[in-house]
Amino acid sequence: MSVFEKIQNLDRRIIFVTVALAVILPLFFPLKLPVDITAPVQQLYDVIEDLPEGSVVLISIDYDPSGAPELDPATWSVMRHCFSRNHKIFVMGLWATGVPLGMRALETVGAGEYNKEYGIDYVDFGYIPGGAIALVNLGRDVHDVCREDVYGTAVDEIPMMKSIKSADAFGLVLSMSMGVPGSDQWILYYHARYRGNLATAQTAIGAPKYYQYLQTGQLVGLIGGMKGAAEYERLVNKYGLATIGMDSQSIAHLLIIAFIVLGNVIYWMEKRRKN
Amino acid sequence: MTSGVWVWIAGALTLAIYSFLYKDNPFYKVAEYIFVGLSAGYWAVYLFWNFAYPNLFQPLFSEGNYWNIIPLALGFMMFTQLSRRSAWLVRFPLTFVLGVSLGLQLIAAVEGDVVPQLAGTFEPFSRGALFNTYDFWTSIGYIVLLVGVLSTLVYFFFSREHKGVFGGIARTGVFYLMIAFGASFGYTVMARVSLLFGRVHFIFHDWLHIIR
Amino acid sequence: MRLRIPLAIIFVMGIFTIVSHFIPAQPVADLNQTFRNWYIGIISFFIFLGTVNLARSNSEKIKTRARDWKYSIILIISLAVMLVAGFYKGRTSMEEGNPFMYLYFNVQYPLESTMYSLLAFFITSAAFRAFRARNREAVLLLVAAVLVMLGRVPIGAAMWDGFPDVTEWIMSFPNAAAKRGIRLGIDLGLISMALRMILGIERSYMQ
Repeated sequence: MSVFEKIQNLDRRIIFVTVALAVILPLFFPLKLPVDITAPVQQLYDVIEDLPEGSVVLISIDYDPSGAPELDPATWSVMRHCFSRNHKIFVMGLWATGVPLGMRALETVGAGEYNKEYGIDYVDFGYIPGGAIALVNLGRDVHDVCREDVYGTAVDEIPMMKSIKSADAFGLVLSMSMGVPGSDQWILYYHARYRGNLATAQTAIGAPKYYQYLQTGQLVGLIGGMKGAAEYERLVNKYGLATIGMDSQSIAHLLIIAFIVLGNVIYWMEKRRKN
Repeated sequence: MTSGVWVWIAGALTLAIYSFLYKDNPFYKVAEYIFVGLSAGYWAVYLFWNFAYPNLFQPLFSEGNYWNIIPLALGFMMFTQLSRRSAWLVRFPLTFVLGVSLGLQLIAAVEGDVVPQLAGTFEPFSRGALFNTYDFWTSIGYIVLLVGVLSTLVYFFFSREHKGVFGGIARTGVFYLMIAFGASFGYTVMARVSLLFGRVHFIFHDWLHIIR
Repeated sequence: MRLRIPLAIIFVMGIFTIVSHFIPAQPVADLNQTFRNWYIGIISFFIFLGTVNLARSNSEKIKTRARDWKYSIILIISLAVMLVAGFYKGRTSMEEGNPFMYLYFNVQYPLESTMYSLLAFFITSAAFRAFRARNREAVLLLVAAVLVMLGRVPIGAAMWDGFPDVTEWIMSFPNAAAKRGIRLGIDLGLISMALRMILGIERSYMQ
């Protein structure tokens, strides 16, 4: 077996160890590289900045624990921004497995950091079943879809809900999404009927698909992956997991590019040798 | 909520899953089956409290809305699948559900996708103000966008052989698809590394307290 | 009857849903909303059936001592524990501080996120072994991937401050173009299939 073949057949566990080191080492030896701000994230930030004080922002938690490392930082940063501008937050979700994540975010940011009051400054309706169908109903009659909040309180007993009846009440709808049901359904079933400002935070896998909707104006902003969350953390000046993760992300990306280049160099040299 | 013995449980389960990287083993299998069972139980709980109870049982038994017997009956017909003799009854709830969702999907596809997407493709060229309204690279970008959308659509038209000028346009579509797939690969790598970072941070910060 | 009534149901519901979108009258909109609420109620049974099937198939495995049957016991126990935790205090079982939430954050959360994070290792290994620039298309794919991977991390911007802008341009124009073409193709296919099913031409779903 030639040297090239030996490298090509490298035990994959060696590759696994290098990937692990690429992610772990920057935690101990941080690079602290600055995070640049991209236009889609800046656009969303500007929309929230320009909303009149006291506007209602709907945040839909459409993800589960497998999307949390990317979307939790985005959710928390957006909530911080909204609360700092005295906007009200209406939380719901199309994923049952995302409900505790939304509850934790509101507890930590709303009640913990900004001393906001449940029922007056924010409300959580948890899991709304039905996916796209529920969104069609939601825009028409919020009280019919959200009959009880996540704690079992009837919607009519929640002070904040007196002025929220239909899609017109929301200054911005933000879908924190990682699949179906998610941003696709918000765009096709909600925004197509009820218009208004719609934005999305996506896991990195889904983000490339939504640039086409940014271009048409169907989305007013897009936070893509952990990098997008790190950008928003920088904009609200409160650094968290996403910013810390950028160093590991950088080194891991360089490592993977190096592996791809090495694999191709070996492939071509082996091909030339055989010819 | 993650503290004390619970964080050690979380840590142990994390390592059990990562043990798969060495090779498949009983610790990984146990963790995997716990996850499947727990997830199924979690969904069943939410299904009842958020789905069935407020939409079916509460309107019927608490509010006296007897029309709700219809969806309840259709729902129970779903279980007829479990017996071969009565399995045909599942067609009733299935066709109801399909009828509603297909009707909505059709409208959504036209109203939410086809019309706005086509409009967005051609709109920058309206009023002939491309290079006046947008900067140079954005204007080039819109030309690239238009060519890309049309050539990609041509590529997916398999009813005609991809030869000559038609084939050339389809080939251009392939190049656009390769760029899009490459970009998606880059983002996929980013997503997976982010997830790994999340777990690594948990291990060294939340569990072992090695980093602050 | 076994065929005609279901075909009539899908036809009536499909046409009503489409036509009612263009009729703003309150009674029609209310009826539409009612049908959508019924849809949501019925869908819950679809998903519940999945849970029932899971329990059934694993119980069969235990009964017949099939391969890995001992792990099926663990699955059934986990399912039962979560059900008990979710129901013993009624609706409030799902509030913070309850066993249901402890199980979610300390068992389900780490298991799920760790399982998906495994893919970071496998994608690297696969990229090393299989990502080859064999032809022009593959080179294009590779170049786009590398540019995006560099442009989307701070170290790329540190190497050359043009990387983020190049990446943004790629995502906004050629990437968006291809994604839009794919999307339009899917939509046209979806419209065609929806019409075929509503009109009863396509019946394969009834097998």
